[in-house]
Amino acid sequence: MTGVQKRGSGRPWLAISLLGIIDLLILYGVTLMYAQGEIAFALIMLILAVSASWVFISHKAYCYRYVFPGLLGVAVFIVFPLLYTVNIAFTNFSSTNLLSQGRVKNILLAQRHTTGDSIYKFQMFEAIDKGGKTDKKYYLQLTAPDDQVYKTASFRQPTAPKVVKARLASADISTETGVSPLPLRDVIKNRDHLYNLTVKIPDGSQLVMTGIRRFEASSPLYVASDKDDTLVNTLTGETIYPDWETGRYTHDGSDQIGPGFVTYTGWQNFDDILNNPGIKGPFLKIFLWTVIFAGLSVLFTLIVGLLMACLIQWEPLKGNGIYRILLILPYAVPAFISILIFRGLFNQNFGEINVFLDILFGIKPEWFSNATLAKTMVLMVNTWLGYPYIMILSIGLLKAIPDTLYEASAIDGAGPWQNLTQITIPLILKPLMPLLIASFAFNFNNLVLIALLTDGGPDLLGATTPAGATDILVSYTFRLAFGSYGQDYGLASAIATIIFLIVGVIAWLNLQATKKYQSV
Amino acid sequence: MAMVQPRNLKYRVWCARVGLWAFLAVTLFPFFMIISISFRAGNFATGSLIPENPSLEHWSLALGIPWVNADGSITEPFFPVLTWLWNSIKVAFFSSALILILSTSSAYAFARLRFRFREHMLTAMMILQMFPAVLALVAIHALFEKIGHYLPWLGLNSLSAVTISYIGGLALHIWLIKGYFETIDNSLEEAAAIDGATPWQAFRLVLLPLSVPILAVVFILAFITAIGEYPVASVLLHSMDKLTLAVGSRQYLNPQNYLWGDFAAAAILSGLPITIIFVLCQRWIVGGLTAGGVKG
Amino acid sequence: MAEVKLSGISKSYDGGKTWVIKDVNLSINDGEFVAFVGPSGCGKSTLLRMICGLEDITSGELSIKGERVNDLSPHERHVGMVFQSYALYPHMTVEKNMAFGLKLAKADESVIDQRVNDAARMLQLETFLPRKPKALSGGQRQRVAIGRSIVQQPSVFLFDEPLSNLDVSLRVQMRQELAGLHRRLKTTSIYVTHDQVEAMTLADRIVVLSPLGPKDSTNLEQVGPPLELYNRPANMFVAGFIGSPQMNFLDGHLESSGTERAVITLKTGDTVEVNCDAHSAKAGDKVFVGIRPEHISAQFSSMDNNESGKNRILTKIVAEELLGSESFIYCHHEAALGAIIIRVMEITSKPHDQSLSVSLPPKCCHLFNEEGTAFPRAGLPEVF
Repeated sequence: MTGVQKRGSGRPWLAISLLGIIDLLILYGVTLMYAQGEIAFALIMLILAVSASWVFISHKAYCYRYVFPGLLGVAVFIVFPLLYTVNIAFTNFSSTNLLSQGRVKNILLAQRHTTGDSIYKFQMFEAIDKGGKTDKKYYLQLTAPDDQVYKTASFRQPTAPKVVKARLASADISTETGVSPLPLRDVIKNRDHLYNLTVKIPDGSQLVMTGIRRFEASSPLYVASDKDDTLVNTLTGETIYPDWETGRYTHDGSDQIGPGFVTYTGWQNFDDILNNPGIKGPFLKIFLWTVIFAGLSVLFTLIVGLLMACLIQWEPLKGNGIYRILLILPYAVPAFISILIFRGLFNQNFGEINVFLDILFGIKPEWFSNATLAKTMVLMVNTWLGYPYIMILSIGLLKAIPDTLYEASAIDGAGPWQNLTQITIPLILKPLMPLLIASFAFNFNNLVLIALLTDGGPDLLGATTPAGATDILVSYTFRLAFGSYGQDYGLASAIATIIFLIVGVIAWLNLQATKKYQSV
Repeated sequence: MAMVQPRNLKYRVWCARVGLWAFLAVTLFPFFMIISISFRAGNFATGSLIPENPSLEHWSLALGIPWVNADGSITEPFFPVLTWLWNSIKVAFFSSALILILSTSSAYAFARLRFRFREHMLTAMMILQMFPAVLALVAIHALFEKIGHYLPWLGLNSLSAVTISYIGGLALHIWLIKGYFETIDNSLEEAAAIDGATPWQAFRLVLLPLSVPILAVVFILAFITAIGEYPVASVLLHSMDKLTLAVGSRQYLNPQNYLWGDFAAAAILSGLPITIIFVLCQRWIVGGLTAGGVKG
Repeated sequence: MAEVKLSGISKSYDGGKTWVIKDVNLSINDGEFVAFVGPSGCGKSTLLRMICGLEDITSGELSIKGERVNDLSPHERHVGMVFQSYALYPHMTVEKNMAFGLKLAKADESVIDQRVNDAARMLQLETFLPRKPKALSGGQRQRVAIGRSIVQQPSVFLFDEPLSNLDVSLRVQMRQELAGLHRRLKTTSIYVTHDQVEAMTLADRIVVLSPLGPKDSTNLEQVGPPLELYNRPANMFVAGFIGSPQMNFLDGHLESSGTERAVITLKTGDTVEVNCDAHSAKAGDKVFVGIRPEHISAQFSSMDNNESGKNRILTKIVAEELLGSESFIYCHHEAALGAIIIRVMEITSKPHDQSLSVSLPPKCCHLFNEEGTAFPRAGLPEVF
């Protein structure tokens, strides 16, 4: 093959110019990112662009041309998120600590206060062209306490903070042509736009609107001190500094000024999981339930799936083509639809299952508020969803068992039960093992089922985080990170990191099981 | 097995048949129920399996047509089901196409070319495929938030973000296609090379036409997986008109706004095409599943 | 004028640690039909694929028509290859299969049609043109594979065990068709096979290759016309490989030698005289005597004759194979490497463990030194 590979494409210039255009675009993006201070992202993009260009230009890298896009996909959407999650696990990233320290500092620096002693009255004017039409251009005339009059440059209705300059005016603008003063009700209409306005007068002071008739000189609440990241309050003279351990600006270490910021907190999240009783208790319960849930799901689907596979593979049972299709229907319907159907059917008051049970036995079980019943329901639904998969796999494996084995066992006088336990199961279990492990891993992370069926509920008592009786680890992290009770990305990522380790072990086991099966 | 038949066979066959029908009755109960419910009037009605007064109210609403009630009042459709379905189809189609292109080219290299780290890459793919995107949702959310700063059409709350995030699921498909390529005689491409084909021509004109069956399976598998994907889509999408079906359907069963009947019609409307595709292609899909072991 | 010249061709897969092919020098004349034979693992297919351009040449120089082609693609070398598996494109009809290369080269429709039809007529494939390969028998597929090469009008035909997937009777037929085809086209052909009958019947010259041992300097054992290889094998490897069943070897040492004859004492003490020029060796050197099964004569009439005289050794029957037209008798003798096989034309069953006295005619014996290199045979007519 190697001899064949050496020839490149027939139109090298087309390819190279296309690559050049893409590279230029990426380079533009990198520059943008760098300008916005996202140095890490810019660097990663640059490395990717360079390696991609090399792969597609160099003859040495010919083989990598085919795998590069795929590997890039895996790297960006699997490897990078995994590493990034581990990284977040060591931070306090959450809805209360959402921004970077730089952003928080800028927010604080943007805070202003008014002194209250220099009030500027103002009047608003609208520019009018010769035809008497307006084009929504405005001016302000401000009168200082010392009766100095300032006129601002023209502005349109600002929807975001905007600074306009004002200059000393010799006379009242209202005498000028082409402008018309706005009545107070129009000023009130424009109130929101005016609040966005900062007027800068020649002496350098900045005026902001503080009332419907007045502007006031304001000054920044904080100024940067010469020491890094430390800010000084211009009113009180206090210095505030970023506390990197908790991720907030503070004056004396006990208070918090402004929003919190993201900072590395070391093993804090893991420490919480292991030692904070409000987190540790539910975590251990959820962990145990996750293992039980995944294990029982595999066991139940295996039993039902294998039984059904044996039944429809049984020759005397005619019409197994139909049976087969009917039996895999639960697998053919998209899971999210089936799960929601069950959610409705199990509904305590309106659900059809309870209607039937009420008619038959006069009971109406509380499927969603009783922990044991909820767990039973989750397992029942998951068995329903999962048995066709095991059945499909088993049918294939059953076909591979030679009939002569059963003929031999019949001569030895074995019945169906002995056939099943002595021949079928031992022969089928070994090749099924890696697939069962994969199934365990799938159920271990079966977020869709829990999120759509119970959403974790009923809630566990004594938990400081949202945690429910049917929550599995991954739905627990999902709720921590994206639930409606305040998002703790850091803690969620820490738990996700623990799941990585568990999945890693399962993956390794699976690899071993596959090797073992292939070597036999 | 046919040769050795016990005397009480007939009795046993009937037992098995009755057992199987009973099992099927229980298993397929939800489907019968949901069909029945979709024709019942109102969202809280209970009744027999065959509705006494069939009503097309829910079907009309699912199709986006306002329903005129008996008292003359008009019920507007609560949710844009058809938009969601269309969103789902768009996302699933484009992500499957992307996955198909990327995994085919990678699988070709892994099956046919020899290069450094080939084995390592393959093992890494095998292991990485065990880590579902569910575990890194925080990171995926953050990633697309960052991307959105520069390319808003690829940021949060965009269907394109969901589409390309599904590329991460391609490791499994690489293995599937690679296995198929390896069953195709290598000398076909060598013959093509002697006939004057470039490697690309040999790939396109000889290998690809012969691999159509597995490519179809991979496309269908990726399509079905994408349609049913919930976690990533639920994290990336917010606004009502951008939701995919999997995320949107959940809205029907909110305790505050319980639209059981409307859900039934919408579920059948959206679930039926996918179910039919699956049943029609089940022979091939089953082959793919046995080789890989995807869904639980 | 498509002569193929291999000089110092070598192949290694792992950067020089282990060699598959080492230092092969060979010159193939225009129009010649050359067969590469050798046991599996001797690298004959690899060598062919290197000539074809499907494998890189690690070192050495390959030239076709006097032009160095080491770095050219298979297509640029103007070679045609027929694969063992036929390698027909399953999704194309026979016609499209044959036209594929010309279409890639953007040849005129009329040229393509004409060449495909010519080739189809030559190979009696006209009626199969619209069919897919799946609908053809093995022999027909093979003909399509050949036709696909013919339409390209290559300067060299390469055949990689083309008949090994056919059943025996078809193989004989295809063999003759191939011979006829070569007579008509007179294109230089290189043919790889493990079947020496194919090689002997088809080839103008045979190239015998051997698996590369750690100390060997080359795989190339001998090149020559079929009968020369049969009559004058250059070494024990070729002697053993050409001819079926294989040549018998007897272990011994040189007693005396001259240019015409040599006397050898076998390990068992028997003496054997052979017509070989072994004057380059001295008395006492370890040698091997070789004789083909068809050249040993056994004295069944005097079965109880226990004499072991000159060029006559006493063996013990171990097994026999009665094939009808001939029989092979497997005998045990202390000096022999393995069993001694004798071909006899009688069809009488012989009791096991019976002693059998056989004679080794001096004219038919081969003599090899300790390294396995043959001493020239004397008294053989020059034609051989």
